[in-house]
Amino acid sequence: MTVEAPLLLSDDPLAPTPSRRLKLGISPRGVAIGAVVAVVAAVAGLAVPSIVNDLYWMGILVNGLLLAFMSLSVGFMAKHLGLISLGQTAFFGGSAYLVCIATSSWEWSPYQAVAFAILGTTAMALAMGVLVVRATGIGFMMLTLAMGQAIYQVVIQEWARDTTGSFDGVAANIGDQTFLGMGVSDLLDPTVFWNLGWIVLVAVTYLLWVAGRSRFGVILEGTRENTERMRFSGYNTFLPRLAAFVFSGFVAAVGGALYGLNSGYVSPELLNFLKAGDGIIAAIVGGLGVLLGPFVGAFLYVYAQAEFNNSGNLYLYTGIASVLVLVFLPGGIVGTISTLSRRLWSSRTGRKPQA
Amino acid sequence: MNIAQLLNGLALGSLLMILSSGLAMIYGLRGVMNFAHGALYMSGAYLAYTVTNHVSFWAALIVCPLALAVIGAVLELVFFRHLQTRSHIEVGLITFGLALIIERIIGIIWGPHTLPVPAPDVLNGTSNVFGTAYPTYRLFILAIAVVMAAALVFWLRVSDTGLHIRAASQDGETSAILGINVDRVSLTVVCLGAALAGLAGTLAAPYFSVQPGMGMAILINVLIVVVVGGVGSLGGAMAAGMALGIVQTVGAVWLPNLAALLPYIALVAVLAWRPTGFAGKRV
Repeated sequence: MTVEAPLLLSDDPLAPTPSRRLKLGISPRGVAIGAVVAVVAAVAGLAVPSIVNDLYWMGILVNGLLLAFMSLSVGFMAKHLGLISLGQTAFFGGSAYLVCIATSSWEWSPYQAVAFAILGTTAMALAMGVLVVRATGIGFMMLTLAMGQAIYQVVIQEWARDTTGSFDGVAANIGDQTFLGMGVSDLLDPTVFWNLGWIVLVAVTYLLWVAGRSRFGVILEGTRENTERMRFSGYNTFLPRLAAFVFSGFVAAVGGALYGLNSGYVSPELLNFLKAGDGIIAAIVGGLGVLLGPFVGAFLYVYAQAEFNNSGNLYLYTGIASVLVLVFLPGGIVGTISTLSRRLWSSRTGRKPQA
Repeated sequence: MNIAQLLNGLALGSLLMILSSGLAMIYGLRGVMNFAHGALYMSGAYLAYTVTNHVSFWAALIVCPLALAVIGAVLELVFFRHLQTRSHIEVGLITFGLALIIERIIGIIWGPHTLPVPAPDVLNGTSNVFGTAYPTYRLFILAIAVVMAAALVFWLRVSDTGLHIRAASQDGETSAILGINVDRVSLTVVCLGAALAGLAGTLAAPYFSVQPGMGMAILINVLIVVVVGGVGSLGGAMAAGMALGIVQTVGAVWLPNLAALLPYIALVAVLAWRPTGFAGKRV
């Protein structure tokens, strides 16, 4: 990222203040290079089903892919706003619920349902964002926790049974309609669904990367470091934070809509506190300081869950893993690897590592 | 509204008050939101089950807080003290991981079933409160909570340790310069906070039965109480705990459809109105 110093000092005190806008963030060339990398990654990922060639492991990979949407949305806010949201389940689960409700109760087509779910949930993120983004630190955590739990409580109420099915959940009903050429059996089949999920995931990750490195991202980081100084320098600190919150809600909503299509069924577990914990722990284990941290973390997390689940002590190991990573690898696994490789690189070339 | 419902609210509020005062003190001193507080409460309740079965409930009332104080000491010495330079949110997330571990260990030791804990015979009957027959045990919870709250406030106001705790909560660095051993104060506070969680667990065991989901369920309410009361403020936490207990119980009668949402509505309303909570000065 490049930050050029503004031309504030001029020899002539009467000279007009330079109106040139401060240049912040990534250059168009960087955006294009990123796009090429993303396209290559998207295409390369399509080979995964034929390499893995195993239905059980493909199912786990698809779970990791879906969790990655949630951990990326948590990670984006943690990285750029320095805020941890305990309520991303509201958007992930909310969107999945809307897909299932719209296709079954309202008999909408899957396209309409997915569009409605993503737009509706993003609108919800906007409404909630207005309430919560002024808060900082622990206040933000508590408010997002409260709003996630509030959605959970609404969904499990008896009076909401007609819509949400209370504890029984809702099944999607796509019938013989198709979504992007995929029928119900294709959507449920992880080897087929992987292709759609992977391309969307790479696209979303690319968008997050561009957003984080753009002028917008730089302003967010400035606000994170010193809100008062940013405000003093003439930047609006509320709108960028709100936009980041809504964007992060949008990412979770996209993941949730895909979840609804893939599983064809939602239950309140999708909205509860432990599910939010899954997304956060996956993001932390991967590393919050690096964009790809939560991405990798989600796959690692789901893999570890699959390995340890047989013994029934899933949350014991989850807890141990998260404590160990937080205590000994504060940058997460990806963060630690990138720090180590940078150190290795600098010791080989004899140059000081760049912070 | 009849008196029994109000008393139910007071009994629930008493438990929330005991729990949240411990959480608020730890938060005030270490700046860490202890997500393991629900798990500590749960440990207290399960220990109370075992001690009550083997010895008596009265023994549990003494043993459980002491045992939890030991766990609190471990928490402080192993985690809080070494990680005090880390971001408070990170340490908070570590306590969340610890909560998962503790709850699972409890599951391994005591199993997944709901366990009943009998109240002692003396407290098993009902008492007459303004013409309403009411379970004596719940009055006992209320009495313990009031005595505990009074003792805690008195101790903080009058004793030297209390003075040190108040000073260190306000500004750890300055009080360290003035010769207060902040680490030792913190050890006292975390042990005390954990012991209070153990006390609340023990008291809750005969009231609600002991079951695996109890820790997470109460944790969310206690977190809300502490934030609504004003983070780090003991008095605020106590008042908000009592208020939430009453609001939730009475709300369940008046607005059964909305009762479960009341804590969240209260939280959003209070934070929108006063971002630092009722009694809080710091964010």
